[in-house]
Amino acid sequence: MPLTLEIVTPEAKVYSDTIDSVVVPTVEGEIGVLPGHIPLLTQVADGELRVTKGGATSWLAVGGGFAQIDGDRVRVLAEHAITEEKIDENTVEAAMKRAEEELKAAKTMDPQQYEHLQSLVRYSGVQLAVKRRRR
Amino acid sequence: MPSTRDIRRRIKSVKNTRQITKAMELVAASKMKKAQAAALAGRPYAQLMADMLAALAPRVGENQHPLLVRRDVKVRGILLVTTDKGLCGPLNANLFKLVTEIRMPAKYVAIGRKGAQFLARTKRDVLADFTVSDRAGFNEVKTPVEFMVKLFLEGSIDTVEVIYPRYKNTLVQEAVARPVLPLSNVKDFVSTLRAEAGAGKFTDERDMLFEPSADAVLAALLPFYVNRYIHQLVLSAKASEQSARMVAMKTAKDNATKLLGDLTLEYNKARQAGITQEILEIAAAAFSAS
Repeated sequence: MPLTLEIVTPEAKVYSDTIDSVVVPTVEGEIGVLPGHIPLLTQVADGELRVTKGGATSWLAVGGGFAQIDGDRVRVLAEHAITEEKIDENTVEAAMKRAEEELKAAKTMDPQQYEHLQSLVRYSGVQLAVKRRRR
Repeated sequence: MPSTRDIRRRIKSVKNTRQITKAMELVAASKMKKAQAAALAGRPYAQLMADMLAALAPRVGENQHPLLVRRDVKVRGILLVTTDKGLCGPLNANLFKLVTEIRMPAKYVAIGRKGAQFLARTKRDVLADFTVSDRAGFNEVKTPVEFMVKLFLEGSIDTVEVIYPRYKNTLVQEAVARPVLPLSNVKDFVSTLRAEAGAGKFTDERDMLFEPSADAVLAALLPFYVNRYIHQLVLSAKASEQSARMVAMKTAKDNATKLLGDLTLEYNKARQAGITQEILEIAAAAFSAS
């Protein structure tokens, strides 16, 4: 029996398909999910999410959120998520550089802004890692 | 009777007004579509979050998390979501009416310039005001929300309520005060939420596992949820704003068109009267000369 995987962000439903297995990055480390997995609710960390479908593997970059496994349904609630094909290396790199510079330049910044920039840098790093993994 | 020149001048100014209101109507219409789409796009997310809270609910006691604890309400915390600009009909006035009905001591945080101005004018206790762009990104809304949550946790406010224009449809927006914190009764709360989002049931009967632990997931999920929930309310407020503005501008445009018709009629009458007068005068002159 196949699994269904849904990845939802505030902006849109990023991914919705039936798959064979998925590896989700969580705060406790990566977990692999196959059909018949025990029901689970866990926190997702920034990282790469691996989807296997019909022998082919695809990658997604996800940023912080939660995942719920219920029966044969895996649902991921993430702040960001993007499929590998849609990652544009140059824009991500530019955004990362900008955020890093802002972090360096500002000595006194309100903590929320700081946190936002840091998460931006982290997520950019994840996206680049996903994009470059096959070279 | 006004002269033809006066009437012509008025016609010109009404025409200008009509042109401007028409342009503003079109702008509001296109922004409204975007705002509505954004409000709708958030729905699957809200539903999934409700499902997750529902999964946690049986494991959660009343006082397990500070955001759940109900206290004696001494000072209410109100987040007033209004527009930055006017020209949107009675939208803001309806919100202000709700605010004036509050008799208890309350502290306010405003999103939107109009609300900030109103609160300052009526000399209420304003803690901060924020502006949020038309796009209303998650990160923009996060700042005021986290500010309020912090105050709530520190105890300087005992509730967090949001007063905002709820989007029903293009013609109807109602001013609503929605309590957000404390999330005192998670089970009730989740069931209303699920009814709203139309969430499904769980298929697997086995006990759910939580990683790292139920408490840890709850502690992470609740603040996230509050942020997300208020973000959804702000998106709804933005959709309301644009549709209210569109409707107001459409009415203004229609009125201008009607006024233009009346003025044109009056102008033609005055012109005709002038011509008749001239012919009379010429005829009279010719008659007396002969």
